[in-house]
Amino acid sequence: MDILKRLMWVAISCGAALGLGAIALSRGEHINSLWLVLAAACSYLVGYRFYSSFIAARIMMLNDERATPAERLENGHDYVRTNKWIVFGHHFAAIAGPGPLVGPVLAAQFGYLPGTLWIIIGAVFGGAVQDFVILFASMRRDGKSLGQMARDEVGKVGGFVALITVLLIMIIILAVVGLVVVNALAGSPWGAFTIGATMPVALLMGVYLRYWRPGKVLEVSALGFVLIVLSVFGGQWVSTSSYAPLFTMTTMGVAIAIIIYGFFASALPVWLLLAPRDYLSTFVKLGVIVMLALGILVVHPDLQMPALTRFVDGTGPVFAGKIFPFCFITIACGAVSGFHALISSGTTPKMIERESHARAIGYGSMMLESFVAVMAMIAACAVDPGVYFAVNSPSGVVGQAGEAAVKTISGWGFPVTAAQMASLAHSVGEVTLFNRTGGAPSLALGMAHIFAKGGGGDALLGFWYHFAIMFEALFILTIIDAGTRVGRFMLQDLAGHVWEPLGRMSWMPGVIGTSAVIVGAWGYFLIQGVRDPNGGINSLWPLFGISNQLLAAIALSVGTTIILKMHGPKFMWVTCVPLAWLVIVTFSAGWQKIFSPLPRVGFLAQAAAFESAPHNSATATLIFNSYLDAVVCGVFMVLVAVVLVDSLRLWYGIIRGTEAGKVQEAPFVLSGLQSEQA
Amino acid sequence: MICFLRRFARGVLDLLREIGDQNAYQRHLTAHHAVASGAEWRRFSDERFRARYQRAKCC
Repeated sequence: MDILKRLMWVAISCGAALGLGAIALSRGEHINSLWLVLAAACSYLVGYRFYSSFIAARIMMLNDERATPAERLENGHDYVRTNKWIVFGHHFAAIAGPGPLVGPVLAAQFGYLPGTLWIIIGAVFGGAVQDFVILFASMRRDGKSLGQMARDEVGKVGGFVALITVLLIMIIILAVVGLVVVNALAGSPWGAFTIGATMPVALLMGVYLRYWRPGKVLEVSALGFVLIVLSVFGGQWVSTSSYAPLFTMTTMGVAIAIIIYGFFASALPVWLLLAPRDYLSTFVKLGVIVMLALGILVVHPDLQMPALTRFVDGTGPVFAGKIFPFCFITIACGAVSGFHALISSGTTPKMIERESHARAIGYGSMMLESFVAVMAMIAACAVDPGVYFAVNSPSGVVGQAGEAAVKTISGWGFPVTAAQMASLAHSVGEVTLFNRTGGAPSLALGMAHIFAKGGGGDALLGFWYHFAIMFEALFILTIIDAGTRVGRFMLQDLAGHVWEPLGRMSWMPGVIGTSAVIVGAWGYFLIQGVRDPNGGINSLWPLFGISNQLLAAIALSVGTTIILKMHGPKFMWVTCVPLAWLVIVTFSAGWQKIFSPLPRVGFLAQAAAFESAPHNSATATLIFNSYLDAVVCGVFMVLVAVVLVDSLRLWYGIIRGTEAGKVQEAPFVLSGLQSEQA
Repeated sequence: MICFLRRFARGVLDLLREIGDQNAYQRHLTAHHAVASGAEWRRFSDERFRARYQRAKCC
């Protein structure tokens, strides 16, 4: 048996090597997507079986005899002992947002190879390690948050910086995901109607759940799902009816609608709109991810995108910047995401029944999210590259008119024709698919092709395209309303120290005022993205990637400090290596985003280019925005540099013996579970 | 095989009930020796949503 097991792991390791070799070495011919699936799945299995068990056994020394917070502090609310696989699903549903779907689609402009390798290697050695270490640390500290652990383990500065970084990231992420929705819905009556219809559906679900059938969440979610699928069909009818102009909105129109929505959703009672939409979007998200995985396995499309494109040199139309460092900040979620550290130190550690479960939940969930990112890469690269670039390139780069755009794109070596684009747009029920930056439409196209081949054929291409857009927009809007609300709470918390009534959650002027400030902040960046001649994604997505990876740097600093205190410098490399990589990548990217002399890359160069253009109010705004982006990027880098310097000072002291290296864990209490089960 | 599928389906349903807070509601009823009612659900969900939506959602 032992030999059989060993042989099985040898075979899986060979599968990983074979898959990685196939995707890395193939040139000049289309490879099948199953090679990516093989490389990813086998690498994850090997990483999980060997690397995570090494971390669990040698570094964390997980001990099932030690009572977890869920056992010691069980209260039926937050602290609840829960089945391992249920916590796994819960944790995965919480960490999987639009990031692992959109990031790989944008990074596909470099070709499928760099993004795929980063997703697999980054997740196995970086992202999953971060999630696992922070989950473990929080579990050993009664479920403390990342900010609290940073304060306790590193110092007061770390905790404060983590709080401010989170607030700033929230503002950037809400703007950037808002921009993804804007570019998907502008000029699309079908999409706008479908997404608009999800709001009355959510309101109906809210009233149903609160007054008609209290507590029947699965029932009301099934009803909501049926209604939103009907709304996709309704959208098709609207798009061909006389009502179509009513739902045909400009990019600015959709942006303003989202800003107004964000304000009301943040101020309305949570049970009315936010919670029912959240339940529905979580179920739809999990269902679509399973469908996509099955679709890829059944259809296993060939990848049309080459392994590497000419845009590794930094001249890419989707976003500017060389493969290093920009590929590694464009794909954050799916490889390494600092935001996960907030989830790993939130609800999850309070639900874990046994310490050993942390491995499957912390490390394993990240493997699954990384696999979602690989699937998004496959969906994007299965689309014809000419079509991919026509959809994702902003008008400022390839031109507004279809003929101009196809000429430019074909000139890059990715042939595409205006007739081909018109036919594709017609088959998915859109007027045009040109200049739809942001990743959502090209991902929806890839998913629609896979789903349509799996069932329904080309006749259902339009339905699947809009179903995919609805799926993406549904949970992006949930992030916008929940994020605005969270940002409002954080701001009220801070403002309450200045003037006490502002901190009261029940004082309406305070609620409205702080909601307006948060919505105004992300709304400003969203409008900035809409007005940006380079498509907005070019400036906002890198800002989001840099901030998210810098948050990961804070989390890995906390993890390194804890490992150092537990074992001395022996095992520091486990978190220090990914930390060093992230610091190199994010600081290089941040530096280039501020100081690069190329106007499409550097914010200051961009401002200088605008200054040389004829002066009017529009260019004045663009100049101000470029300086603002440079300042925001600089602030992120300074904040994280402060935490890093603080951490380095502490590590040096611990290694030299001049600083106390006491671990701040909760005291050991013997678990009663074994005797209970016996 | 059928046994495995049944167990798998039960596991999936249990996960959906957990994500949909239905299991948490049952635990709440047990802990408070209460019976399911509109008022009890509103009390439970208000408290749960207040805690949940004070935390950032992941990207």
